[in-house]
Amino acid sequence: MLALAASSALAQGQTGPGAPSTKGAVIKGRAPVSKEVLKVKLPRAQEATLPNGLRVVVLEDHKVPTVTMQMVILSGGLSDPSGNHGLAATTAALLREGTQKRTSKEIAEQTEALGATLNTNAGLSSLTSTVSASGLVENLDQTLDIFADIVRNPKFAADEVEKYKTRTLAQLQFQRSSPQFLAAERFYRAIYGAHPAAFVAPPAEALKGTTAADLARFHGTYYRPNNSIIAIVGDVTLKEMMPKIERAFGDWQKGDVPQTSIPVAPVQSNSRIFLIDRPGSVQTVLQLGTLGIERNDPDYFPLLVADKIFGGGPAARLFLNLREDKGYTYGAYSNMSTSKYRGVMMASSEVRTDVTAGAMKEFMYEFKRLREEPVTATELDNAKRAIIGGFALSLEQPQALLQNIITQKIYDLPADYWDTYPQRVAAITAEDVQRVAQKYVNMGHLQIVAVGDASKARDVLAKYGSVEVYDAEGKPVQ
Amino acid sequence: MIRRDKFIIALLMCVLTAASTITAQTPRKVSVNFKETTLKNGLRVITVEDHSAPVVSINIAYNVGSRNERQGRTGFAHLFEHMMFKGSENVGSGEHFLLVFNNGGNMNGTTNEDRTVYFEALPANQLDLALFLEADRMRSLAITKDNLDNQRNAVQEERRLGVDNQPYGKSGEVQQELLYDNFAYKHTTIGSMEDLNAATVEDVSQFFKTYYAPNNAVLTLVGDFKTDDAVARIRKNFEAIPRQPDPPPVDMTEPEQKAERRTSVEDQLARLPQVDIAFKAVPGNTKDFYALQVLSAALQTGRSSRLYQRLVKEKEMVTNVGGFMDEKRGVGALYISANPRPGVKTEDVEAAIYDEIERVKSDSIADWELQKAKNTTRRNYYNGIQSSLNRAITIGQYAVYYNEPGLINTRTDKVDAVTREDVKRVANKYLQQSNRTVVITTLKAKSDGAARAAGQ
Repeated sequence: MLALAASSALAQGQTGPGAPSTKGAVIKGRAPVSKEVLKVKLPRAQEATLPNGLRVVVLEDHKVPTVTMQMVILSGGLSDPSGNHGLAATTAALLREGTQKRTSKEIAEQTEALGATLNTNAGLSSLTSTVSASGLVENLDQTLDIFADIVRNPKFAADEVEKYKTRTLAQLQFQRSSPQFLAAERFYRAIYGAHPAAFVAPPAEALKGTTAADLARFHGTYYRPNNSIIAIVGDVTLKEMMPKIERAFGDWQKGDVPQTSIPVAPVQSNSRIFLIDRPGSVQTVLQLGTLGIERNDPDYFPLLVADKIFGGGPAARLFLNLREDKGYTYGAYSNMSTSKYRGVMMASSEVRTDVTAGAMKEFMYEFKRLREEPVTATELDNAKRAIIGGFALSLEQPQALLQNIITQKIYDLPADYWDTYPQRVAAITAEDVQRVAQKYVNMGHLQIVAVGDASKARDVLAKYGSVEVYDAEGKPVQ
Repeated sequence: MIRRDKFIIALLMCVLTAASTITAQTPRKVSVNFKETTLKNGLRVITVEDHSAPVVSINIAYNVGSRNERQGRTGFAHLFEHMMFKGSENVGSGEHFLLVFNNGGNMNGTTNEDRTVYFEALPANQLDLALFLEADRMRSLAITKDNLDNQRNAVQEERRLGVDNQPYGKSGEVQQELLYDNFAYKHTTIGSMEDLNAATVEDVSQFFKTYYAPNNAVLTLVGDFKTDDAVARIRKNFEAIPRQPDPPPVDMTEPEQKAERRTSVEDQLARLPQVDIAFKAVPGNTKDFYALQVLSAALQTGRSSRLYQRLVKEKEMVTNVGGFMDEKRGVGALYISANPRPGVKTEDVEAAIYDEIERVKSDSIADWELQKAKNTTRRNYYNGIQSSLNRAITIGQYAVYYNEPGLINTRTDKVDAVTREDVKRVANKYLQQSNRTVVITTLKAKSDGAARAAGQ
């Protein structure tokens, strides 16, 4: 079901042959481009609710005989008790390490023999915990049985908890060899301070102190049908799923789920520069950014467009400048995150050590340009067409469509949110983009993190302010 | 179900059994129906008409990879791939990115030992754009020293990002060079810094002429179009591009390995040692290859696997263990990799891995493990054909690798044909000490990095 509609799109190639309209790219404007943006009709999900409050969402997709189920528990890392950051994450991880009926090994063997996959996840500062299963529709009943078992009846056996802690502590060590991990760890700490979003990995001390009883308590409190949505996509219908869901979850007991208060992101601190010394590095990993916005902020759409123009892919300014024009890097991108607390607006790249100075200069230039100059009509139109046109491709990704539906529910977005999304994007002007750039890309608050060879990067960074040096263990170097 | 007719007719990806008639445990059969034709200049064209989403995906697979490289020019096939985005007669440098992404599309190019592919997925009304972009660069790539230097830099950063600045980056490279004897596979696709520096504009021109000819490529188009119309557009864009002499064949003969090969790599960036084992085996799409895939699934895929259960869960010796049976046009290998927990010796980890392999050699695998491999293959197949882009890439790859595009539909049957006896046989035949190449990554003695930084 698609309709063609003319958009306000302008043609490619308004500049003459060979004219570099964008740094890093030459626009000849001779390729045939359809001026119409395909308007697509998104498929409708069907919904129901069980008497115990479990909400059911089914999105039919009959292209191939597979099915994916996702139990979204509406409590995640943000519900961790203070001092036990990572409890939601550990609880989710332990779900598949044994139930009242099945051992950890039996869960793994039975699931994989069906050709199915099972995943459990909660972030350190997430709004939700999720359990998902994906497999062949012919094995739906057996897969659903295991899925319901781990959601409802986890055992949290002490020996499995100890084994999990042992291997996770080793993995936390292992992780520190990645320069991207070290950069993210410092960056989010700089932005968020004492807020739970500062954590990118569970703190080792908290993990060591976590007991089976803590996990059972978290599970008993939050894993309740009236605090959950089961979302299903695949070669099934709501009609055939409902009796199965009733059987699997109908007698799941409701509970009084405490409200989780969303901690407010801290006031932005003044710009700071962090350098993590990682001996042997041949590149400098750079991450720079500021506090962004909440998902429901009215500035969401202007900032989305700003991010697309700034660094949202190989057609964006950062990539074209730092890679295509300068050859400093394999890639340079920006990224905007949102939640019920304020997310981040950040840019990142990995550059060879001896061009760290050049890369810093270009990053600062691009941040300032986004603030000080309105984006061009061509850039604005391109970014909007990229976002809206991408909806056609999303129709081939039913799981992404389901994710959109879940997002709409978590954030209480209007029911027609995704249908009207293209219009909201199309309405953004160059003035809107510059306004939000000036509001959120505040150079006085910019947090700068570099990971690399400190002996070479230190002087480069010192041009931008005083540099705080850390070692790869996260300890300050005096 | 494959149908290869001389005439191009419109066909849909068809679902053979309607959903409503399914009863539990009756697998529904799904297949990809493609049509094939060859243009006058030798360009092989494969189309799959599918109106389920307003999307069109194109893939061009060139029959060239790092196996075609000569000594002193390692990394060249991949460096060349980057040049394909730096402009042609009617497309400016970098304009390709803007045209695809700014119209809501997605694109990339990738190079491996055995092939190079370029692909775009776009809203269906941009079919002409996709064809134009691919045809223009096949016909008239613009090659300049500035562009070459720029992309040489980008590729060298890609190497640093993936190899030189990452823990264990060097270990994989060392293993590949030790494992193979034939130069075709005895070097990595990313290549050496020295060789990347040596590449010239003349190399780029010659490579383009030799390998980027229509008769050395397969174009796959999948999505929302009418086949007759699409093929006419393909002809209009591509048929005038001149054919070139066939590229020289590559000698892929790999001598039999007679004794274990072993080395160690000291890694300043690593925090845990690593054991990397490779058993030299067979080319892809052979009977033994599929049996080795099943064996690898039982041994090391997922949490139910023997190595995970024994080494991670039971003995708590390692933080990670896993691997895969590598699919290659030439001889591939079965890879296993593990990171010992702090305080555990790499020798003990190796011994525990070999113990598990010996158990498979004497008893083969269980029925449920065979079922696991078969069901997982089928689920992966369905996931793979869900998007038009994946179908385009997969068909193109099978056409170039094995001259068998229909493998997209028959591959699950080949895995289904594997028996427990096959698995036992290939375990005994290939997972031998004399047939393995082992690389141990060791940690560099603690450096005084912090002190060094503080001293600046």
